[in-house]
Amino acid sequence: MTDTLNTTNAAQAFNSRRFRKRLPTPGKPRPSLLANTWVLLSVIVVLVPLLYLISISFMTQGQIASGILVPTDPAFSNWSNAWDSAIPRGVLNSLMAAFGGAILTLLLALPGAWAIARHRTGGKALSGLILSPWLLPPIVAIIPLLTLLRILGLTNTLEGLTLVYALINVPVAIWLLDGFIRRIPVEIEEAGRIDGANEGQLLLRVVTPMLAPALIAVGVIAAILNYNEFLFATFLTQSQESQTVPVLLAGMLSERVQDFGRIAASSLIAVIPIFTVAVLLQRYLIEGLTTGAVK
Amino acid sequence: MAVPSGHPGGSGGPRRRGRFTARLYHRIFISPSVLVLLVLAAYPLVFIASAALTRSSLGNPFQEFVGAANFQTAVSSPAIRDSLALGTGYAFGVAVASTALGTVTAVALWRSLHAGAFVRTVLLLPMIVPPVVVGILFGFIFSPSGGLLHTLIRRFTPGSGTFAVLSDTTWAIFGVALADVWEWTPLVVLLVFTALLGQQPEIIEAAQLDGASGYQMFRHITLPAVAGTIIAAFMIRLILAFKVFDLVYVMTSGGPGSSTQVPAFLIWRSALQNFDVGIAATITLLLAIVVTVVTIPVFLITKRLRDD
Repeated sequence: MTDTLNTTNAAQAFNSRRFRKRLPTPGKPRPSLLANTWVLLSVIVVLVPLLYLISISFMTQGQIASGILVPTDPAFSNWSNAWDSAIPRGVLNSLMAAFGGAILTLLLALPGAWAIARHRTGGKALSGLILSPWLLPPIVAIIPLLTLLRILGLTNTLEGLTLVYALINVPVAIWLLDGFIRRIPVEIEEAGRIDGANEGQLLLRVVTPMLAPALIAVGVIAAILNYNEFLFATFLTQSQESQTVPVLLAGMLSERVQDFGRIAASSLIAVIPIFTVAVLLQRYLIEGLTTGAVK
Repeated sequence: MAVPSGHPGGSGGPRRRGRFTARLYHRIFISPSVLVLLVLAAYPLVFIASAALTRSSLGNPFQEFVGAANFQTAVSSPAIRDSLALGTGYAFGVAVASTALGTVTAVALWRSLHAGAFVRTVLLLPMIVPPVVVGILFGFIFSPSGGLLHTLIRRFTPGSGTFAVLSDTTWAIFGVALADVWEWTPLVVLLVFTALLGQQPEIIEAAQLDGASGYQMFRHITLPAVAGTIIAAFMIRLILAFKVFDLVYVMTSGGPGSSTQVPAFLIWRSALQNFDVGIAATITLLLAIVVTVVTIPVFLITKRLRDD
């Protein structure tokens, strides 16, 4: 119990904007030059590839081949070309499948996660097996999922892909929610029971409101995983109007003449929306990863 | 809210009925999860086991029972053995590199003045970039015609030849690994850094009062406190690396030759390019065995560290 509480405090400290001002805390060692240098280096290692991508997106094919790293005469044509292609549609498709799938995942996973974490429903077998689909390459599930979509008549539709995303994230969502559910004091649920709530009302009116931040956290993680997903999307969305943005980007690489600048601009158009979501909901994202993944 | 019959304090009958209803609710609650396990785990397992024992194509599975023939083909196939060996080496290499770099960065961040919001956000970015885009990005960096690496080498050592990382049978897998490490090391940083912040200050204060030196503190207090998290992060990283597909698909398509043909890619190629589902299923089973065998020791270490 103290262990989980500690992680919570840590996550809060990690997220706190006032973190720097609270130095020196007793637990924190004195900052060192070596540490500062290393942090600076890692920021550079993360940023240089991303800045390079931005740089390429403003270069013509000739400029790239001539070995310029920063264009002195930026070419905006790549961006207008990318904007006029199927990419914006792909981004929209990706966003719909990603967030639609994430919301459905939460609806499917929350009752199960609560029953498994609190009441050990399904016993050790269920809690032990729940993460098993995550261990193997996702390709093994492709045939059952295709069969399922064929039965439902949803092949090659965005709805079908959304449903698949909803299903494939349920195991990870249950696993991540577990850490959050264990942090709710049992007494609150007991109080609800004494007040006469049945299990359904308890879940809906007591547990769900308390888990709201956790649901946002796990939902954001699922949405990011969906948005970035490639393998299922290539199989399940062959038609132009249902293709997601990773599929379109991979398709650009198989064109006979690769236009690096346009591919770079398209990649950035794909990345910007999900970066925005992640940065705005950063607090939840971090909490979801740290509370859920290491218990 | 209506008072149901299962109110505690009532006679034994309604109370038992209440518990029964509660259990019924819980069963209903887990039914979607069980359904998901059936679709994502049980059905694929039965399908794969059946396909591995039969001659199966994509359009026409389970044509005839062939017993262990697929296994014999797979085990004696150098391509499949190489792929499993490559996948294992790749997974361990990438997981060790990510965990080491991630832990060092987390400790540096912990001991740095600059752990502000900007640095935190920047360090989160790589794992939010779609793997397809990471592959494209590192494809550009390694491109022999004006890529970042090539340009930098040219600038510092003029007159050197072209160096195409991803077209080299030895270096291509390292190129993919570098992209993989870039993308997922931030996850290790995040997990370990949070564990470092979560240490109990009382213990550290006590050690300081006892006159422990900086190194002693780190070695005997900090490291044991976060060891469990580091191993857990290693485990997550190992499994992610065993499943690598998108990066290979985008950066090298398994080539040049078969030098980057990791298991997930080989399974995909067997099933959906050669339409031999029997062999694809057999490779999947062999991969499952390999993953289980190599993760069990790591899992046991995790458990021991957790129990201490």
